Amino acid sequence: MLKRLLYVVGSLGLLIGMWGLYDRFVYGHMNANYGSYVVWGLWVALYMFFAGVATGGFMLATLDLLFELPLFRGSGRMALWGSLVTLPAGLAAIGLDLGHMTRIWKVYLQPNFGAVMAQLVWGYTIFLIIIIVSLWLSFRPQPSRWLKPIMVVGLVLAIFLSGGIGALLGVNQNRVSWHVSNLPAQFPVFNLTSGVALMLIAIGWFGPVHDPRRSQQLHVLGLGLVVLLLVKGYYLWTDVSQALYQNSSHGAEAINLVLFGPYGWAFWLLQIGLGMLLPLIVLTTPIRNNGFAAGLMGVCVLLGLAVARANIIFPALSLPELRGLGEAFHGPHLSFTYSPSLMEWAVTAGIVGAATIGFVIGADRLPLFSRPVKSAGAAD
Amino acid sequence: MSRQPTIPLTPVSRRGLLGALVAGAGALAAASVQASIPAATGKSNESIDVLTPEEALAAYEAEIARLRAANINGTPVDLLERMRTDLLRALTKPVNERRWVMVIDLRACVGCHGCTIACVAENKLPPGVVYRPVLEEEIGRYPNVSRRFIPRPCMQCDNPPCTSVCPVSATYTNEHGVVAVDYEQCIGCRACIAACPYGARTFDFGYTYTANTTTSGVMFGAEQAVSYEQVSTFEYGKLHARHDAHDSPVGNVRKCHFCMHRVLNGELPACVTTCIGRATFFGDANDPESLVSELIAKPNVMRLKEELGTEPRVYYLQ
Repeated sequence: MLKRLLYVVGSLGLLIGMWGLYDRFVYGHMNANYGSYVVWGLWVALYMFFAGVATGGFMLATLDLLFELPLFRGSGRMALWGSLVTLPAGLAAIGLDLGHMTRIWKVYLQPNFGAVMAQLVWGYTIFLIIIIVSLWLSFRPQPSRWLKPIMVVGLVLAIFLSGGIGALLGVNQNRVSWHVSNLPAQFPVFNLTSGVALMLIAIGWFGPVHDPRRSQQLHVLGLGLVVLLLVKGYYLWTDVSQALYQNSSHGAEAINLVLFGPYGWAFWLLQIGLGMLLPLIVLTTPIRNNGFAAGLMGVCVLLGLAVARANIIFPALSLPELRGLGEAFHGPHLSFTYSPSLMEWAVTAGIVGAATIGFVIGADRLPLFSRPVKSAGAAD
Repeated sequence: MSRQPTIPLTPVSRRGLLGALVAGAGALAAASVQASIPAATGKSNESIDVLTPEEALAAYEAEIARLRAANINGTPVDLLERMRTDLLRALTKPVNERRWVMVIDLRACVGCHGCTIACVAENKLPPGVVYRPVLEEEIGRYPNVSRRFIPRPCMQCDNPPCTSVCPVSATYTNEHGVVAVDYEQCIGCRACIAACPYGARTFDFGYTYTANTTTSGVMFGAEQAVSYEQVSTFEYGKLHARHDAHDSPVGNVRKCHFCMHRVLNGELPACVTTCIGRATFFGDANDPESLVSELIAKPNVMRLKEELGTEPRVYYLQ
């Protein structure tokens, strides 16, 4: 029933996404609402979100495929599959955001490696290859001796790529709310949180019901998520309290926009309420061992993280670099206020729909929750 | 090795200048490139010619001779004339010995936005793309209120935060010290816009004045206007026709470039020549005789957001 519902929702998203893609390819960026001032919009937030889920998923896969924790044995392939469907979704979102997406080859052949974005493009490409290879190796009948080294490289890359997203924003010294040294340090924690949430959904909704470890997995993942949410909450507190202490800086303006701006409701209701408080309550009670509830909390946490990505990007860009810039010249896309356009939402629905269908197909059709057992003396 | 200019500039009056403007226009025009000829038909990415040091020297000497011929002493040379001769003198020097700067006198700016419009016309900027907006600021409280106008071109920073973030090196400081954008290289990621502390970059979303506007359907003479919108610009010394709604410069980040295509042909930037308040100055700061060198040595000079260490080449007098 749940799978069917997800197939329907995913297909509906894809259908809406088709219209969005048509609009995007025929009219370019004209019908988007990001502009020359709020220069990055919904798709960049979506890219950061999905890239975070992909790296977080990989981190969770190492519990099985690298560290071989008995409790998580057999869950690594599912986590890798989650990475495999979410990373292309993130890359599609950022690709569609480019003014000339057909020139993406230039980042490979003529890169400026001093730019964080070039590092990320190369890093994510290598990471995608690592996900595919490790997934392929994990499907082989005999365990491969290459799997662990590849997982080590992938884990290091996952951590650095997570930090890279923070650095992509943090290197902009003109954006006070981004230009804080611990932003790249925060992102690996955010992404690990995404990964745990993804696994709660995977195991809670699609995991083998008769596996005796399932409830224990949900228990450990649920408590892990509680800890990560508390750490995430602490980061949020440090960001907000430091910025608002003097309440006079550019950073304070950005935080005020997040808390009390036109989209303050999204912060309080979705990011804090649905994305943090509700999971904290549910996951600290015995309900967390219920598969459906655990999966639902995973969805809530992911939703909160997605809103958090938007709340990092939009408010910082909504503040004029110079006072009066927004009123100095008028024209399309010259505004410091931003709300995503219908086309942006449609494309987003398509990408989320595709990722959802991909994830469910894997859970539904592929033997993701099992793994070949290492035989004595087996070497490949 | 280029010959250095030897003829000093003699002050002339405005009356003499008017006559001289007509008489001497030929000398400069002959030395300048007829860049408008390939404009209508030229293919994108064709380069335009620029003055050689020898041509610049000839134009400079002709200009000085013209001003001398005006033969009226005792009144100062118009600042535009002085900047033009400063400019021609700078062009006789090797490229790496020039340092182009812009000086904007905030006390003289009247907020007419003429520079903004001149820039739009010169670079044929589409809707939503602006290189030089004029910011307005109200100071004080009634009854003690004043207004200040702050034209904001690209600062052409010596330490630009926008170039290092470009993943494909499409934006860079060129040999003239100007932060340039290679339209054929730019992938349109807009990281440079996010990095610019002055908001000096805009993205070309592909708009035109003759389509996608509320009045385009009833626009009188829209057919003729379309050809204007598709005509090439000379930005960065290349022809950039805007024929295709999906091809460069559509989908690219665009910015002020100090009108280098004009400067290298002995003409001042469009925003300088059209400034009715004589509030914008341009020239070579490495030339101690130039007007801009005098201006940036004044005690009331400042630069925007100096604390960021970007070392802007745009100075403000306040």
